[in-house]
Amino acid sequence: MANAKISLTINGRAVSAEVDTRTLLVHFIREHVKLTGTHVGCDTTQCGACTVHVNGTRIKSCTMFACQLEGAQVTTIEGLAKGKQLHPMQEAFREHHGLQCGYCTPGMVMSAIGIAERYKGKALTEDIVRHELEGNLCRCTGYHNIVRAVIAGAKAMSAG
Amino acid sequence: MYVGQPIRRREDFRFLTGRGTFVDDVQLTQPILHAAFVRSPHAHARIKAIRTDAARKMPGVHTVLTGADWLKAGYGEAEGVWPVNDRSGKPARTVNRPFICVDNMVRCVGEIVAMVVADDRHQALDACEAIEVDYEALPANVVTAKALDKGTPLVHPKFGTNEVLESYHGNPEVVEAGFKKAHHITKLEVPTNRVTASPIEPRAYMGHYDVMNDRYTVWTTAQAPHIVRQYFTKSLRIDEHKLRVIAPDVGGGFGMKLYHYPEEPLALWGAIVTEHPVKWTGTRSECLMGDTHARDHYTVGEMAFDKDGKILAMRFKTLAAFGAYESQWQASITNAYHFTMLSLAYDIPGIFTEVKGVYTNCTPVDAYRGAGRPETVYQVERLIENGAKEMGMDPFVLREKNAIRPEKIPYTTAIGITYDSGDPPELFRKMRVLAKYDALREEQKKLHAQGICMGIGICGFFDMAGAGPVKMMNDLGAKIGCYDVASVRVHPSGKVTVFAGSHSHGQAHATTWTQIAADRLGIDIEEIDLVEGDTDRVPFGIGTWGSRSLSTAGMAVVAACDRVIEKAKKLAAHMLECAPSDLVIENGQFIVKGTDKKIAFAEVTNAAYHSGDRPKGLEIGLEETAFYDPTDCTYPSAVHLCVVIVDPETGRVTLRDYFAVDDVGRVINPMVFEGQVHGGCAQGIGQALMEECAYDPSSGQYLSGTFMDYAIPHSTDIPSFGIESHTTLTPSNPLGAKGGGESGTIGAPACIANGVIDAIWHLGVRQISQPMTPKKIWHALQSAKAGR
Repeated sequence: MANAKISLTINGRAVSAEVDTRTLLVHFIREHVKLTGTHVGCDTTQCGACTVHVNGTRIKSCTMFACQLEGAQVTTIEGLAKGKQLHPMQEAFREHHGLQCGYCTPGMVMSAIGIAERYKGKALTEDIVRHELEGNLCRCTGYHNIVRAVIAGAKAMSAG
Repeated sequence: MYVGQPIRRREDFRFLTGRGTFVDDVQLTQPILHAAFVRSPHAHARIKAIRTDAARKMPGVHTVLTGADWLKAGYGEAEGVWPVNDRSGKPARTVNRPFICVDNMVRCVGEIVAMVVADDRHQALDACEAIEVDYEALPANVVTAKALDKGTPLVHPKFGTNEVLESYHGNPEVVEAGFKKAHHITKLEVPTNRVTASPIEPRAYMGHYDVMNDRYTVWTTAQAPHIVRQYFTKSLRIDEHKLRVIAPDVGGGFGMKLYHYPEEPLALWGAIVTEHPVKWTGTRSECLMGDTHARDHYTVGEMAFDKDGKILAMRFKTLAAFGAYESQWQASITNAYHFTMLSLAYDIPGIFTEVKGVYTNCTPVDAYRGAGRPETVYQVERLIENGAKEMGMDPFVLREKNAIRPEKIPYTTAIGITYDSGDPPELFRKMRVLAKYDALREEQKKLHAQGICMGIGICGFFDMAGAGPVKMMNDLGAKIGCYDVASVRVHPSGKVTVFAGSHSHGQAHATTWTQIAADRLGIDIEEIDLVEGDTDRVPFGIGTWGSRSLSTAGMAVVAACDRVIEKAKKLAAHMLECAPSDLVIENGQFIVKGTDKKIAFAEVTNAAYHSGDRPKGLEIGLEETAFYDPTDCTYPSAVHLCVVIVDPETGRVTLRDYFAVDDVGRVINPMVFEGQVHGGCAQGIGQALMEECAYDPSSGQYLSGTFMDYAIPHSTDIPSFGIESHTTLTPSNPLGAKGGGESGTIGAPACIANGVIDAIWHLGVRQISQPMTPKKIWHALQSAKAGR
């Protein structure tokens, strides 16, 4: 067991800490920074509930050690809304009932924004969204409304 | 009117912005210690020794506890809330699931042998590694179908058998006569696979003991917090008034989060011993082996038809797996929910079933969304499908022919349950149009001619939802009263807090309960908030399960609101100098009918708390509590249809379309209701095609310990759904609402299975057990080919 010092930016705020080198990014975010919106649903990088953005790319935060993140820019679900003003993707999930229990939701929304950004300027189809969401598991919705939300959210993002 | 509108969910903001509070998110001012567990790696073993000395000396470790300590503390058991009731009169052979191994025998993989409490999770896990347990591995019994065979290892040798109970249901004389005069008989082996609910939030518990005030608090991933509090009176022997149970946001439950799992009392025990809050959050592997499993019935059945395809009778023999112990609600499946619904949507004169509960060296089985009815629908619908095909009849037409006619409803089935409302022929008619059934059959002919294996699956059923009334459920074995509770607190300002004994873990009660209350009270929905999930705030409750919350807690909201209005009208009438019966409530005002005289709701509510000028005898304040005992269960019904394409080269199934026509009576929020159907269908599709809690039959080792091995559906496995409703109101509650939560998991396994068989029937395949994986389908195709 060894410790490492890291400095990074989370949701625009500078964060410095000394962490056990075994600490995963997701545990760092939840337990050290106390941002508990990023969730853990499995131990094997299947579920995607811990999806965040690292330097603008969506990534499952259980696949990185916190000590790998020196100097990185991290965005979590808490970094999207401005006050009560939801991000267009969050608004689309609400409008299209893309969530039920809400546990996979932060990862879904972060993943969905990643999809929208990746396909910027191109029309998103149901097939593309289902393929791109394959790494995010939801047990409540059957994905039907999530797919609709992602398509609508991406449209709103490109319009905005 | 709010009821009936697709109001967007009021709880969404916190979930969408990461501000939900799940158990693992709860922060306290004191440091929280972490529990970790040493679990049995064997399905069946004798423990020769446990050495904990090294672990106790590890950094950060506060305590190490074993079964010996549990016995020393004098704690109790996880007693069933739905105890086994053997109908033949013989005593059932009940062994409750232990919290921690106390008799040096482990009987399934994952059973807890020791607990470590340490400053952080890593330290607790490191210390678990340092605990040495000497096991003597014993032969295991993990195959349900063979559980009663001679020579099968006994899970509890003291009984001399693996049988837990035996029960019989139906009218055997009518069945006998039906088979005697049958024109055609279809026989099948129709087992249902062992699956598990797998909500994305793992189970998690945190216990806290406030020594100075002698008060306990438990934060738990639970669906029924007051029932959890009751469990603790038996396990840690804590009196209800000393214990607060909080089930905050819970990330899906599906029935699986109803039980008093070992880690729940153990976390609080750790807190009592260390005098610090102690938390455990399950890893996915711990959950996949420790969460209750479900289904796992081995059933053989036969069905008798007359020459026109009318079903005369059917009979079944079922071995229902209990796992290594009896979980708290397990007998509700075998003794209440499975056999009762065997008639499905059909008018069947003769039904007989024999059910034997059996112990195996597997994780205990308990209710998971559908609880018994997915098995029922699967076993009956597979026989109907094959029977129709063997007789050369269109399976859709054969079902329509047997569907219960609306004029026969209320209809009492051969099992003795009475469906109070519904119109199955209309559900089939709507499905025919929605799915364009006739065109599908034409398309199928063309595709089969091109070598493309397209199949159409169908099923139709009734569900028994809304557990209650208390007496009926007592008679079916429940030791808990199946009613529910709501309090409506009107504040002086006219704003309202509703407290309900239900618990939303995805079902949107903060929206739907306030829709109901807003209509009932005649005020804006934004003026009402909901509180659930806290035994110190909510008077009582039986919780959310079995598609019951709307027809019990929802109706308690109705009843409490009505009492509030009755009282408020007396005061308003006094203030307006009219009779209470002259008043109507609209848009937050009491209006004297036919006049322009009115008074604001808030003015009346303020007077209720602060005015001395009120009718004689009218009590101050405005708050009402209703304990609502429904007059009957509710009987929602549905018809499902799917279209699948099977690749004969690889055995892979592509699910092209999935349709459902549901009758759930009055719908409070159609958006929420459709979401329930979507999610349930996806889970049922998972059971049909990919999910299985698998055990190695020779070693008993558990093989489904991660989401790489236990396959829940991904977005690419599920199609978009076509959902329609048909509404017949139930007379059993004031809104005419029936349960809408379980149709998907109940119908989809049978529907998909029928579709896959329909796709490859012409290649000689007659039955494939679930999950219908590519490998199994490919083998079935090869066997059929070789047999010809």
